Amino acid sequence: MKKSLLTLFALMLALSLALAGCSSGGDSSKGGDDDKVDPNNVMIYGRGGDSVALDPAVVTDGESFIVTEQIYEPLVNYGKDNTDIVAGLAKKWDISEDGLTYTFELEEGVKFHDGEKFNADAVVKNFDRWAQSKDGEKFAYYGSMFGGFEGDEGHVIKDVKADGENKVVITLNKPQAPFLKNVAMSPFAIASPKSLDGDKLSKEPVGTGPFKFKSWKPNDTIVLEKNADYWVNDMPKLDGVTFKVIKDNSSRLNALTKGEIDLMDALNPSDMKKVSDNGKLQLFERPSMNVGYLGFNVEKAPFDKKEVRQAISHLIDKQAIIDNFYEGTAEPAKNPMPPSIAGYNDEIQDREYDEAKAKELLAKAGMEKGFEMDLWAMPVARPYMPNGQKVAEAIQAKLAKVNIKANIVTFEWGTYLEKVQKGEAPMFMLGWTGDNGDADNFLYTLLDKDTIDSNNYSRYANEDVHKLLVEAQTTADEAKREELYKQAQVIIHEDAPWVPLVHSKPQLAGASKIKGFVPHPTGSQSFADVSFE
Amino acid sequence: MSELTRSTPPVVPQPQHMPVEPVEDKVISPWKDAWRSFKKNKIALVGLSIVSVFIVIAIFADLIAPYGISEGELRDKHIAPSAEHWFGTDEFGRDILSRIIHGARVSLWVGFFSVAGSVIVGSLLGIVAGYYGRWIDGIISRIFDILLAFPSILLAIAVVSVLGPSLKNALIAIAIINIPTFGRLLRSRVLSVKEEEYITAARAIGMSDFRILIHHILPNSLAPIIVQGTLAIATAIIEAAALGFLGMGAQPPTPEWGKMLADSKDFIIQAPWTVLFPGLAIMLTVLGFNLMGDGLRDALDPRMKS
Repeated sequence: MKKSLLTLFALMLALSLALAGCSSGGDSSKGGDDDKVDPNNVMIYGRGGDSVALDPAVVTDGESFIVTEQIYEPLVNYGKDNTDIVAGLAKKWDISEDGLTYTFELEEGVKFHDGEKFNADAVVKNFDRWAQSKDGEKFAYYGSMFGGFEGDEGHVIKDVKADGENKVVITLNKPQAPFLKNVAMSPFAIASPKSLDGDKLSKEPVGTGPFKFKSWKPNDTIVLEKNADYWVNDMPKLDGVTFKVIKDNSSRLNALTKGEIDLMDALNPSDMKKVSDNGKLQLFERPSMNVGYLGFNVEKAPFDKKEVRQAISHLIDKQAIIDNFYEGTAEPAKNPMPPSIAGYNDEIQDREYDEAKAKELLAKAGMEKGFEMDLWAMPVARPYMPNGQKVAEAIQAKLAKVNIKANIVTFEWGTYLEKVQKGEAPMFMLGWTGDNGDADNFLYTLLDKDTIDSNNYSRYANEDVHKLLVEAQTTADEAKREELYKQAQVIIHEDAPWVPLVHSKPQLAGASKIKGFVPHPTGSQSFADVSFE
Repeated sequence: MSELTRSTPPVVPQPQHMPVEPVEDKVISPWKDAWRSFKKNKIALVGLSIVSVFIVIAIFADLIAPYGISEGELRDKHIAPSAEHWFGTDEFGRDILSRIIHGARVSLWVGFFSVAGSVIVGSLLGIVAGYYGRWIDGIISRIFDILLAFPSILLAIAVVSVLGPSLKNALIAIAIINIPTFGRLLRSRVLSVKEEEYITAARAIGMSDFRILIHHILPNSLAPIIVQGTLAIATAIIEAAALGFLGMGAQPPTPEWGKMLADSKDFIIQAPWTVLFPGLAIMLTVLGFNLMGDGLRDALDPRMKS
């Protein structure tokens, strides 16, 4: 007995030694670059959730994009704090008169992290990979931004050709007004052609960006280190960026206060004062490009009646919600898109809080006795709504005044989205952050009849709106497009498939030593010019 | 019960000429006896009065509460305690005092009915297991062991996850996790009682099992159930608050104390009253039931008597 115990002990000891050997071996193999890295010059970014994958083309979530944005670059970029198009890997571009041919002139001397040369062939290979996808599901965002895949009827891109070493010509089947803005989106960044051949891309990304991928511990940390050969002079200024997952908003703030992390997203609005009172911390406000809303499933009674939807719009006191649950850091919304985006219709008169009017509308719909239904509220903090449950509770109290009994229900986040998408929720809280700063990415993506079963959770289908939105997509004249979007908003306002609630200004907090960090409206930005003072 | 009342001797008229002296061998009912010793226990009386106050508050909540549970305007957020709002207002501008008063109803309701549920089911199973023994006992006791093997709050969370979050389901979950406590208590009680001579006697005169269980064994096992039940109400109230805190119990706008705590935990510095008063309410009721339970144990347990 004693002997066997001893053997067991010895075995365990041997095993632990072997394991220790493994881990130290792993470290030393990467140790070669370490001597250049100054740990004090590495920024640690705290966030609520982990990335899904590090191949931007296969994901749509912000937590993936914020990492891939450091590793990869698209052909063209957004401005530092807006969505105007500026040069990226393409230093110049030329658009033909008919809007069908885009010629991109590429930066020269750019190298991927694996030493491959960045050139026209690499760009073509990336575009071909997305368009010729045999697995349409995989590149869903490409499909929805460029009208499908190669061979599909609506596919916008006809072909992508290399013209010499540093020129790429993209020919379109039909003009697409937001084409450049779409190309600049995080999912359409260029990966090393060599890395595309394997299937490791999702876990070991190789791009041209300011930071190189080093390691990923799922649900814990992603470590990136400086790309010393970055093609932009004097960038990046940091020696590395580490993304660390700390789920709870308050714990994340604690970690920041203690100096364990340098920057954090999703600050509780109620903690803003704590940050501004702390001399060692600073607040960052992300420009608002989102909308939080209360949606109705227009196929389900009684929300199939326009009057009922309008009546509920009259029962929501948006300013009070903003004061209470956003600490005043949001704007009341009256349209399904934020005012910062071209085509916003400011002439629309929002429905004022008015109980009498609501009762009158309900009576008109024959619902003056009230009714009972489920009000769905998301379980997690979102940038557009830090606490959906509480906003739902405030709405519930107001609905009770006209005898509408709302039962608040919720599900785990993934299930919630899936069920809402399938149209199971009669009335639900949700929101959207724009990915490319175009009205199309709000109105068409969220309220066109084509996007029912995708992002049109209200299942709102209006033929006139559809015509306007499709026409706006294929019109190149910006003034004309804005006019079309304004008209669409008038119809949508009248039909009220949503009650647009707020355009929030998501808050971030960081150590006061951080310089040069500008939060981008899309939710992800490169840290190339961020530095510590 | 009937057995106990029957044990009260018929009142024998005392001869008038006898001097009025306490008769030492006068038999008094064990319940009266228990009440006497309970009365002597000051701490137990404090417990009883706390519990009584909360029961009265719960019954007359609609009359006592100055405001409705969801009455209030958002702009009246976080008003500090004042003459108008004794306990201040919460994030929704609702009066916390009124919500606590209505919350008493919710908590006591969950406490009483979940314990009633576990007492009924648990006692039945325990009695059957203890009286019949053998394989029946084996099966029932193993079920109790399995239930007890789970940390109770985890089991409750699992039950609520299956049934869906609501106050009713939280009540069911709490009832389920308390079943083995009462089952085991009754089983051990039955095991000792059934060997008593009066049971043998009852069996000898041909009394049916059912009658023996109902008329002899159950009444003789009541005292420990009452003690355990009172203490279990306290635990049940805490468990309901815990489930409410985790969002798995009462749904908004029900003013459940645990839920009120969870909703206000972010404002513990900014508006401490939003957390303080629901917390105090939970603490006081639980304390009340615990003190009362301890007092009852002292009063009812023959071994505790001097």
